[in-house]
Amino acid sequence: MARSSTAPLGDPALRGRFERDVLPLLPGLYSAALRMTRNPSDAEDLVQETYLRAYRGFGSFEEGTNLKAWMYRILTNTFINTYRKKQREPVTVQDDDIEDWYLFDRIGAAGVEASAESEVLEKLPDEDVQRALEALPEGFRLAVLLADVEGFSYKEIAEILAIPIGTVMSRLHRGRRALEKALWETVRERGLVTD
Amino acid sequence: MSPIDCEQVLLQIELYLDGELEPSLRVEIDGHLGACGPCMDRSDFKSHLRELLKARCGCEDLPPHLLERVEAALVEGGSTQE
Repeated sequence: MARSSTAPLGDPALRGRFERDVLPLLPGLYSAALRMTRNPSDAEDLVQETYLRAYRGFGSFEEGTNLKAWMYRILTNTFINTYRKKQREPVTVQDDDIEDWYLFDRIGAAGVEASAESEVLEKLPDEDVQRALEALPEGFRLAVLLADVEGFSYKEIAEILAIPIGTVMSRLHRGRRALEKALWETVRERGLVTD
Repeated sequence: MSPIDCEQVLLQIELYLDGELEPSLRVEIDGHLGACGPCMDRSDFKSHLRELLKARCGCEDLPPHLLERVEAALVEGGSTQE
């Protein structure tokens, strides 16, 4: 820590590079922080702490490597270290009864025409989709967030979460199925299909 | 080698959409999807689901004061290292 802590501040070039390259990531990091903490006030604190840690460690960031993944790793670590203590959660989802094509097959069975299944999804309010993601247990929520919302590769997610790629794939697969089930419940509650 | 069938394609669709398949298998699946409407519908649906998540969960409006707050914190806290 000591090696990397003071470098950025005394070096105007490094400081300029931080402002140019890292500050623009703020909107995406804030959105991710909100999905992690599920509350705006905690999300702001988390983002601020993430930037502080990044700033202090920026001297040890290797230029040319993946800056976005580096920032999301700091965000994720800060979240896990700070907030997991407050929010103890199970590390599994109940998904034994969820098939791979859970949502598609149910929307189809509800009489929606072929090729129109996606249109049902479009009618879901933003808050419902956000709540469905936020309701996933932490390990699954982070994997789905990093893959589907942030677009990271399996390898990047494995590095960000410090877990093996096989675990990334399993959490993604199961997390997405649990998400489909939650979305189906919302589709029905909202009356978006008649069955 | 026999061409890839629907069942195999649907088993691989998650990896396919995640861009994590090796190129030769990817090309095979591309070919199958181009010729098979039902598989294409399923692939499109999963792809749409990812886009939906990205659009609805990744574009929060930034609180107006947050950038200022972060910049102030960097000036203040960024130099107080041991």
